[in-house]
Amino acid sequence: MSSKDQTGAVAPALSDAKDLHVASATGETAIRFEHVTKTYKLYKSDRGRFLGIFNYQRKGEYLGSVNANDDLSFEIKKGEAVAFLGHNGAGKSTALKMITGVAHPTSGKIEVNGRVSALLELQAGFDATLTGRENIGLRGQIIGLSKAEIARIEPEVEEFADLGLYIDQPMKNYSSGMKARLGFAFAVAIDPEILVVDEALSVGDKAFQKKCIERIRDIMMDEDVTVLFVTHSPGTAKQFCSRGIVLDKGKKVFDGTIDDATEFYEANY
Amino acid sequence: MLSTLRTILKDNWEWRGQIVRLSLFELRKKSRGAVLSWAWFFIKPAMYIFCFWFALEIGLRVGSGSAGGPPYILWLCAGIIPWFFMSDMINTGSDVLHRYPYLVNKIKFPLSGISAIFTGATMIVQLMLMAVLFGIYIVCGMPFDVYLLQVPVLLVLLFMFWDAFSIMFSQLSALSKDFANLMKSFSTPIFWLSGVLFRVDNIDNAVIHAVLDYNPVTFFTKAFRAAFYDKYWIWEDVGAIVGFLVVFLITILVMALIYKKFNEEVADVL
Repeated sequence: MSSKDQTGAVAPALSDAKDLHVASATGETAIRFEHVTKTYKLYKSDRGRFLGIFNYQRKGEYLGSVNANDDLSFEIKKGEAVAFLGHNGAGKSTALKMITGVAHPTSGKIEVNGRVSALLELQAGFDATLTGRENIGLRGQIIGLSKAEIARIEPEVEEFADLGLYIDQPMKNYSSGMKARLGFAFAVAIDPEILVVDEALSVGDKAFQKKCIERIRDIMMDEDVTVLFVTHSPGTAKQFCSRGIVLDKGKKVFDGTIDDATEFYEANY
Repeated sequence: MLSTLRTILKDNWEWRGQIVRLSLFELRKKSRGAVLSWAWFFIKPAMYIFCFWFALEIGLRVGSGSAGGPPYILWLCAGIIPWFFMSDMINTGSDVLHRYPYLVNKIKFPLSGISAIFTGATMIVQLMLMAVLFGIYIVCGMPFDVYLLQVPVLLVLLFMFWDAFSIMFSQLSALSKDFANLMKSFSTPIFWLSGVLFRVDNIDNAVIHAVLDYNPVTFFTKAFRAAFYDKYWIWEDVGAIVGFLVVFLITILVMALIYKKFNEEVADVL
């Protein structure tokens, strides 16, 4: 089941989401990439990598380097909804990781203004020994919410994730779908200024997906929220975004309106 | 390098709220899954102390040396309780990034702050044990004197030194498990060689004295015993204080160098 099929099923109700959102850009920069290159050095084994730290490239151990992002430059204004299109390995997730601040560019400059909430790898990033409710508190604390704010979002997250009694169980007992639901519920509850959605809509059952899409739509109605949408299915991107950036092998190969971008993407890939 | 130090201090200050609360979470996590939960923070050290006291004072009869002095158990506890903190830092504190992978590559969080979380949590346990130590101190009929003023200072030093140690080794351990394994295998030798269970000053060899002056574990056990039992100011032992300050400074410098070189790479590797 691809995410395209699933989201397609609920598409009619959402066709207006994009129209609600367009033309709200205020001219302030939300994200700016200037000649960003991210290089991963690849080694045959941990031992080779360890020696590589000391700039000692042993023969046969160093396999070469890959530019996951290669001289990438773009600017996204506050309030824009942009889709990143590209194959697996095109560098979409690497770019998003750098936007969220967990990875750093090898060269180039990145500017991000606003609180980023990322829906990447929804199942990951929870502490398995803590309960769902404790994880809400923990994450809230990590991103710097006050006690009052956490108390406010907790029932919201609880209701949206709809985990029943499991909300007070350690997360190691959760199914992957339950973790993803909690992850999604949290990410949308914190009123993000920049929302990064990485293939997140393919989680859960149909009813939950519909709920997710509606929630993202709500968020996008707020003019100040910048949305980055990563996908390799152009259909989903068209529902949400007004602009598309196509990546290939780490390079930007197209940047334009979503219709042109999807057309380009479908014609070339 | 100074700028790296400034970054580390700034990050830790800006994220102090999160660090303190995450320390408490760490403790809650540790006590999870046991009915006696918080009691275990005391039971394990108590068992250790009992075993050493039994073996040394009852079994080997080496404990009650100074006739008329304060009880041996106080001398033992004053050194071994700080050791519990240092032992946790050597074993687990040297590899904290693997303990919190989600803070490294899922959520934006300063890596030096992760060490502060673990050091903070360990320090909270240490403070609870210190309260017990004061209980023993009072039960032994010891007076409240000025030498006890060294204790809070030493606790601050204990935190700062081992936090820097943890930042340095965690970066290295993230890149290669060798460093974590190295520290783990060193933990037992360090315990037996650093004078946690014997008086370093009684050793009749100038070379060993000189070497141990540069051992931070020796310094801390000596200093806490100076405050609780032997009743002198630690700076009266010039060799010990100079040795420690040298090691402290070197640790800070090396930590800054390592952090500067590796902290941006760690998230890619872990």
